[in-house]
Amino acid sequence: MSESGSDGGKWLDAHYDPVAGLYTFSSCVDLADLSGDGESRLVVGDLGCGSYSMKLKVYRGTVLMSESTLLDLPAGLVAFFMDLHEPRIPAVAVASGPCIYVYKNLRPYFKFTLPGLEVNTLEQDVWQQVKEGQIDPLTLKEMLEGIRKKANIPLSVRSTRFLSLETSDMDAFVQLHNQQPIRRQTVITCIGTLKKSTADEDGVSCLVIGTESCDVYVLDPEAFIILSKMLLPAAPITMDVTGQFDVEFRITVACRNGNIYVLRRESDKPKYCIELSSHPVGLVRVGKNVVVGCTDESLQGFTQKGKKLWRIILPAPVITMAAMDLPTRGFQGVLVGLANCEVQLYRDKNLLSTFKTPNVVTSICFGRYGREDGTLIMTTKGGGLMMKILKRTAVFDDRDSAPGPPLAQSVRLNVPKKTKLYVDQTLRERENGLTMHRAFQMDLSRLRLATAKAYVKALESSLTPMSSSLSEPIKMNAVVQGLGPSFKLTLNIQNTAACRPIMNLAISFLYDESLYRMRNPYMRIPLLVPGLIYPVETFVECTSDKGISDIIKVFILHEGQSSPLLTAHINMPVSEGLMLS
Amino acid sequence: MATACSVDNSKMADGSVATELPVAIDTKKRRAPKGTWLARDIVALATGRISRLAETLKEKTKNKSSVSPELPIVERRNWLIHQHYIRKDYDTCKVIIKEQLQETNGMCEYAIYVQALILRLEGKIQQSLELFQSCAILNPSSADNLKQVARSLFLLGKHKAAIEFYHEAARLCEKDWEISHNLGLCYFFIKDFKHAEEHLNIALQINKHDKTFMMLGKVHLLAGETDKAIEVYKRAVEFSPENTELLTTLGLLFLQLGKYQKAFEHLGNALTFDPNNYKAILAAGSMMQTHGDFDVAMNKYRVAACAVPESPPLWNNIGMCFFGKKKYVAAISCLKRAHYLSPFDWKVLYNLGLVHLTMQQYASAFHFLSAAINLNPRMGELYMLLAVALTNLEDVENASRAYEQAVALDDRSNPLVNLNFAIFLYNHSDKKGALDQYQEMERKVNLLRDGCTNFEFDPELMDMAQKMGAALQVSENLVWTKPGKDSKSKPNSAAAIKPPGAPLGTNQALGQAMSSAASYNKNIQLPTGVSKGPTMPFEPEPDVQKAPSLPIDPPGPTELAQSDNPKPRTSKRRTKVED
Repeated sequence: MSESGSDGGKWLDAHYDPVAGLYTFSSCVDLADLSGDGESRLVVGDLGCGSYSMKLKVYRGTVLMSESTLLDLPAGLVAFFMDLHEPRIPAVAVASGPCIYVYKNLRPYFKFTLPGLEVNTLEQDVWQQVKEGQIDPLTLKEMLEGIRKKANIPLSVRSTRFLSLETSDMDAFVQLHNQQPIRRQTVITCIGTLKKSTADEDGVSCLVIGTESCDVYVLDPEAFIILSKMLLPAAPITMDVTGQFDVEFRITVACRNGNIYVLRRESDKPKYCIELSSHPVGLVRVGKNVVVGCTDESLQGFTQKGKKLWRIILPAPVITMAAMDLPTRGFQGVLVGLANCEVQLYRDKNLLSTFKTPNVVTSICFGRYGREDGTLIMTTKGGGLMMKILKRTAVFDDRDSAPGPPLAQSVRLNVPKKTKLYVDQTLRERENGLTMHRAFQMDLSRLRLATAKAYVKALESSLTPMSSSLSEPIKMNAVVQGLGPSFKLTLNIQNTAACRPIMNLAISFLYDESLYRMRNPYMRIPLLVPGLIYPVETFVECTSDKGISDIIKVFILHEGQSSPLLTAHINMPVSEGLMLS
Repeated sequence: MATACSVDNSKMADGSVATELPVAIDTKKRRAPKGTWLARDIVALATGRISRLAETLKEKTKNKSSVSPELPIVERRNWLIHQHYIRKDYDTCKVIIKEQLQETNGMCEYAIYVQALILRLEGKIQQSLELFQSCAILNPSSADNLKQVARSLFLLGKHKAAIEFYHEAARLCEKDWEISHNLGLCYFFIKDFKHAEEHLNIALQINKHDKTFMMLGKVHLLAGETDKAIEVYKRAVEFSPENTELLTTLGLLFLQLGKYQKAFEHLGNALTFDPNNYKAILAAGSMMQTHGDFDVAMNKYRVAACAVPESPPLWNNIGMCFFGKKKYVAAISCLKRAHYLSPFDWKVLYNLGLVHLTMQQYASAFHFLSAAINLNPRMGELYMLLAVALTNLEDVENASRAYEQAVALDDRSNPLVNLNFAIFLYNHSDKKGALDQYQEMERKVNLLRDGCTNFEFDPELMDMAQKMGAALQVSENLVWTKPGKDSKSKPNSAAAIKPPGAPLGTNQALGQAMSSAASYNKNIQLPTGVSKGPTMPFEPEPDVQKAPSLPIDPPGPTELAQSDNPKPRTSKRRTKVED
């Protein structure tokens, strides 16, 4: 099988920088020939610290070539041709927040902002009234809450923020904001490109963007006007686009509700829907099929129309996925980055190759980098950047994954061995089975007899901590507390009779006087009301420092009778403290 | 609606307020002067951005009448939260959620939602429930929030409350597979199988999922409708032919019904797709074992032993494989391991008793069998084995009592019990009693034979019974000849199920197993035929017969299963397979 051993031979380690400090996803990495010199650069949208120092970084070879600050978290990044000018130099579009920033020649070129969303008219009216001073902030709050409950259109940021405010801050807030019209904006969650009219590699492409408000827009690359708008049932996570806008296209979108939708040219609603049983992590199209990695550690294949083809279980959760497309060799596969620091290459459901990485891979990008066609670029969890080049001699066997018998089949069974002694015993039993059986039965009977005898004796001489005599049914248990040398001995005595109280009882102790000293070895017990538990406490001091312990016997006696009602043996713990004095 | 705005439009700085201009096309000519863009755009963006500082700065620079600070978009980082959530990077996720909630004053619905999901994964279900409820307040029109509230209630075991919430969610969003499936699940847990079935079927109509098939099958099984369950699983396997769990379950069901061919087919399929499937290995292995295919079964078990090395049924089956291969010491080792792993499993004890009987360790056998009887006092065969052990230990009185008990409890119409009893009585010169038992046996044999035409009896059993008949001078041996012919004339029909040689082989094996007692044995067999009727000879004979019957189930008993009462008889090996 193509396990780790053989894969060292397929990839050349070109570059590894473990402290490149890149925090990014596969959607924010792209390869493009940004200066038209035939050498591809790596463009990365770096999320920086997750809230600040977001950067757009460009690598050439092993060097960071340029770096420019981004204003907001990049949700996606694509390189695309936006016009027909020569030389053919692609622009870079970075989606962040509600805007798309377009860079050309690595310089800021253009900014596109998503249109605002529809605002609830009721909400608008209410704010209008506030502006005119017709209602006070408290009424406003009530009305807004009412609107939130009923309306189909969610409230704007301002209203939700207002609702979360303390009463004291409301006035100031209203003063500050009421001059502005209410707007609702949404955020871009994913971005892709769609060829406009030709399938050429350097043809002009439209931008396709998915938004938090569950819309998908197709933008004209030159005028930046919205060419088409489609609605999804849930917010998109990632998308794959194929085809040409003017001819026929297909947008496959993985959504946050765990479904995958396929959008077509003629309809503004999803044409097909694939319901997954867990969230999709990555989505890659290979030829006409869609390969999806899910959170339940599975990789699934579907046709374009949503018919399930196959499903395989992965050894670890999927972190990221990317397509591996080598048109020169006619090879198409799927690279899957796993949480166990492995990257696996699949063609359909067949595992072709696996290699280990020093850390968990967070983003994968395969394509032409520099002048090398088969370059694999990965970023790792700690911020590392790794580049590998596919050897020209590397061959991925298209072997069927149906394996022979599993390895475990050739492992010997661990059958416990038996000793010579065992065999001897067996022989002995065979010869003397009868005697053995009889002796056993005899001994068993004796044992039973002895047990019964001991039990009867215990009952007769009240050696048990339960008295079952009809006149004085009593139960007792004892608790010893302390580390020594002094212990607290608590005896819990309970009268288990239904209604009759018991009187005239006393407790006495029997112990080794050389070991223990007891404050009062004889105590009288008060009248015992049925059902209640009476704790009787006394203190025992251990007088020996030799670390030995003994049994203290407790008797409950009826006054005037010499035989005890019940007896308890208390195993004293070893005294751990030294006697002072 | 074109909201595009050129970057170097200097009015940008006034915020996007003024710029709903459909500009943009002239951008080609203009190039942004180097460097200035960002500086300016910071201001421009501040309108859509957070930084308070920038806002206040801007406010100061602007004339007073204008802009108030633009509030950050609440959903700004939802995508980031989701990306981390699906990558199972919960720590980072929680940090981002915290920041996001601080920024939005706790109004970000999605952040709360994911926080609740994470809490639930961490087992803090009550807390997650509260968060989901607050989500439902923030956005009451979302069915998803209600679904999650219901899910948390379900996990807390409050199924009825969960059902109410699911119904409410169903009102908001019709035709949702998940809601119907989970409703089915809730009803299943409160044992309302009718409703469960109904909702699961609805779920299947909306969309087909393996999970739902699995659940529906389970509901049918618990409601005792095996046929329907099989139908469901068949549909499921059609829908997803590579799901090993479904294949295995279906295979086991067929096995339970005695449809070995189909069972083996499905189990085999399951093993093709997942050669390490423990359940399928055990089931398929036990079937091979039944057909005397011990080496192949052992191969399979080796795989299972790697995957689940501490499985009592597995070691039990391995032990019985060794037993079939006449490796008695290994058999005992394995069975003892199974016993160690599961000390209260009477089947293991039963097999241990049997192997020890074969090994002529009657005293040990006695202990294992009596332990088994203590755990399962309602099985006739156990008493019969005990009686055999006792007979060999020369405890005639108790042996006879054990036989009586065995006969009284034998509700599976196993003729073996009566035959053994008859032999025992005959050997202790109670001819009348022996005759009674013999006739009882004949009755059972007739019953079995009528139940199933191509019924095949253990030849050892037939042989012994004929000798016994002769000894008792009963004329109607006809009983035997028929089934005998039957089994001989139709070996092929039986062969579909098992290789014809197998049953015989195993019996012979067992016969030889007794080799240590061989001299003993051979002496005996002759006499029985001659009907000399010395007391001694018959004794070992019974367990020779027993031995085949129990462990190697194939010859007689499993066939019994097919004909008459499938469940009880087959249960022995099979249940082990399943657990």
